[in-house]
Amino acid sequence: MKIGLEIHVQLPTRSKMFCSCPTTDADAPNTHVCPTCLGMPGSKPVLNKKVLEYGIKLAKMLGCTIADTTWFSRKTYFYPDMSKSVQITQYDNPIGYGGMYYLNGRTPIRITRIHLEEDPGKTKRVGELSSLIDYNRSGIPLAEIVTEPDLKTPAEAREFLGQLIQDIRHIIDLPGDGERSIRCDCNISMGIERCEVKNVTGLKNVERALTFEMVRQTKILKAGGKIDRETRRFDEERGVTISVRKKEFEADYGYIDEPDLGIYHVKELANSIKIKESPLNRSVRLSKEYGLDEKTAKQLIATSMELTDLFEEVAKATDVQTAKTWIAGVVSANWKAFECRCSEHLEQDSTRNGILEIICKYKAGEITDTECSLEIKAYMTGKDPESVQTESSDLDSIIGEFLIANPEIIEDYRKNDKAINKVIGYVMKRAGGTYSSTDVVCAAKKLLQEKI
Amino acid sequence: MNMQSVLSSLEKTNLRYSMFNDFLKNGEQGNSKFLFSAKDNLTSKDFETCSGSRILEGYHPVFDATAIAKMREAGGKLIGKTNMDEFGFGTFSTNSGFGIPRNPFDLERSCGGSSGGSACAAAVLEDHVSLGVSTGGSICCPASFCGVYGIAPTYGRVSRYGLIDYGNSLDKVGLLSAKASDLSKYLPIISGIDEKDPTSCVQPKLDLKKEKIRNIAIPKEAIDGLSKDVMTAFQSSIDTLKGMDIDVKFIEMPALKYAMPAYYVLATSEASTNLARYVGMRYGHQDGDLSLKFDDYFTYFRSKYFGDEAKRRILLGTYTRMAGFRDRYYAKALNVRMYVINQYKQIFNEYDAVLTPTMPFVSPKFEDISKMTPVEAYKADYLTVPANLAGTPHLSVPCGYDGNGMPIGMQFVTDHWKEDLLLTMANEWDHTFDMKRAEVSL
Repeated sequence: MKIGLEIHVQLPTRSKMFCSCPTTDADAPNTHVCPTCLGMPGSKPVLNKKVLEYGIKLAKMLGCTIADTTWFSRKTYFYPDMSKSVQITQYDNPIGYGGMYYLNGRTPIRITRIHLEEDPGKTKRVGELSSLIDYNRSGIPLAEIVTEPDLKTPAEAREFLGQLIQDIRHIIDLPGDGERSIRCDCNISMGIERCEVKNVTGLKNVERALTFEMVRQTKILKAGGKIDRETRRFDEERGVTISVRKKEFEADYGYIDEPDLGIYHVKELANSIKIKESPLNRSVRLSKEYGLDEKTAKQLIATSMELTDLFEEVAKATDVQTAKTWIAGVVSANWKAFECRCSEHLEQDSTRNGILEIICKYKAGEITDTECSLEIKAYMTGKDPESVQTESSDLDSIIGEFLIANPEIIEDYRKNDKAINKVIGYVMKRAGGTYSSTDVVCAAKKLLQEKI
Repeated sequence: MNMQSVLSSLEKTNLRYSMFNDFLKNGEQGNSKFLFSAKDNLTSKDFETCSGSRILEGYHPVFDATAIAKMREAGGKLIGKTNMDEFGFGTFSTNSGFGIPRNPFDLERSCGGSSGGSACAAAVLEDHVSLGVSTGGSICCPASFCGVYGIAPTYGRVSRYGLIDYGNSLDKVGLLSAKASDLSKYLPIISGIDEKDPTSCVQPKLDLKKEKIRNIAIPKEAIDGLSKDVMTAFQSSIDTLKGMDIDVKFIEMPALKYAMPAYYVLATSEASTNLARYVGMRYGHQDGDLSLKFDDYFTYFRSKYFGDEAKRRILLGTYTRMAGFRDRYYAKALNVRMYVINQYKQIFNEYDAVLTPTMPFVSPKFEDISKMTPVEAYKADYLTVPANLAGTPHLSVPCGYDGNGMPIGMQFVTDHWKEDLLLTMANEWDHTFDMKRAEVSL
């Protein structure tokens, strides 16, 4: 089985790719439009240079070669939501090509190319005979990442996409709602001919669509049938793919160079752009440098990059084991509350330094581990230490009593750490909403580990 | 100056010459300093803009083309949109969807194209300057056929914002006028970089007191195929130039032969993509069966409202950029274009200007045009196309009249950004040449 993906990423510019219309959500259809994104006769595209910067960042992240000169092309096809019946995209000399991306830091997935293009408008069917068209999306900048057919299973495709999105989001600061800004065309072949499932949104749907295709194609092949080369679409509700058009030939888009835009010499720009360490690379590095297991590394990164920074600071100031115990434990459990409390200052190291100091005091033997835990929690949540202590000792005593009454749980926990769920379930039932779930998990873990 | 009389007689004049698609009726001069007209492929807020095509009938743009806006800012009053070949496709202005402009020297003859209406307005109206657009010779050709001055500047000198594109990498906005001095007066006004058009350039300022043309090269290849009258007028003009202390030499310029096919490949490739947006959905009027599938509706609309020449160029341009043919035609034409540019550059190392007649014959009669094959019509542009392909500035000046009194023109080409040489030339020539105005009888 071969799977290749074409991934469309919406780039987070403030204005559209070729005009100054805003890219933010509009109150009503066709309000964020101008002569250029409506394709009015006589209007001309003017490139938003930010788009080139984002393209270069992504190309670097994907290990692509970046062309010294790049330019745009016209792709011609007729569709109502294409205002010019011509899409400005890249054909010859895209911004990046020939890259490599390592799934989980190990499995190489070849990247064919990454190019920049404008989004068309949106068609909305209303009733049998009419459609409405909204051009607010027309001209929103996209990067299209094309992979070689190196993915082997639908699950792997999903994992790849998930990791890629996390990396992309970090490298170009995509807004939180990543699902919306990523669309995917999935190519899959079980035999010789491939099928393309167009415009699938969301990781789960990519896996579902590919799995459906895998089963469908396998059935046909087993029955001695032939698979048609065709374009399909995914019906999210029913979880099936449906044939849109059989294609005997590739569509002929008649590409020419876009004559309204020039050639961009991007060598200097590309050299001047440094990208941040991607979450994937960071997790690989954390494993290597600190001997951290993959799960913990990923968990830290998924929680927050700042938390991961703190882990590294603590590990350097003390040792890896101490850092792991505290950062992956109580600090991680209270991180969301910490973020909320000091959202404006989190970027500054001084806020994080407070936690580092507490851990250092513990390491120097000035405080016990219970005191350390309380101090960290009080610091991070902004509550006063006494109430934290009361809460925590109440929680500890509820769990303690439960464990005394049910000693078999400790035995179970030795073999299977899922046994902790019994404790959590009990506390939640008994205390209702008094304690946050992270606190309960944290306390249960701590007490169980003390007992075994 | 009698601008008021021009305005009051506009309707009558247009009835005779069909030079405007849309124009000021019962106009007032107001406090405007001068009157101007603009080719119908330049968008303007106050007139319908159709680019000579029925497919855009009823289209009222929401913005002014930069060139029009600048003329207005300078105190000009736009009096009308001049008739043209549909989207600029033609040499005789006979491909318009809105009637055919008539040559002021002989109503049975063509104004030339595609800026035919602009040349006609420049020849007929008093103190008038008209904005034209050249892709392959659309300013010089009609200037020559109507006996007026026309200049197409360096590509990038004048903003193309608001220009309804034919071949975007070739299109230039320029000027036509019966007075050479108008070119020097108005070209600086419409020039300059425009943030709304990325192909407009940072450019050297026009220095009108700069040096003059001292030596001129005439490609031998340009002399083949000239009509007798054009040859005679051209030869006597060469003598006049020599009398003006200008050195004239004949040279070889083989690139002239290849420019024409390369031009048609590039121009139609670009044109076919530009015209793709006209599907009867967004601009101008709508008609037909809206319950059709969208591509059937688009096909219906385009079949009905594009003229024959537009369809021919769409098909030609679509063919040359198709997969499998793209390298053989489109990509090759790009190389030929570089070859033509390099040959001009070599010549300009030694000479200030290249000179040829503008058109190989005087304006033909409509009955003769109707007998021409498309290729014969395309070939008529062989002297104006090369400079357009190279993006170099060029100027047509009237240089003689045939036995029937039909005007003949010649064309100067200089290096990029050397329009000042052309403007100086135009003014000098105006002092030497005895120009005839068409008889305007109403």
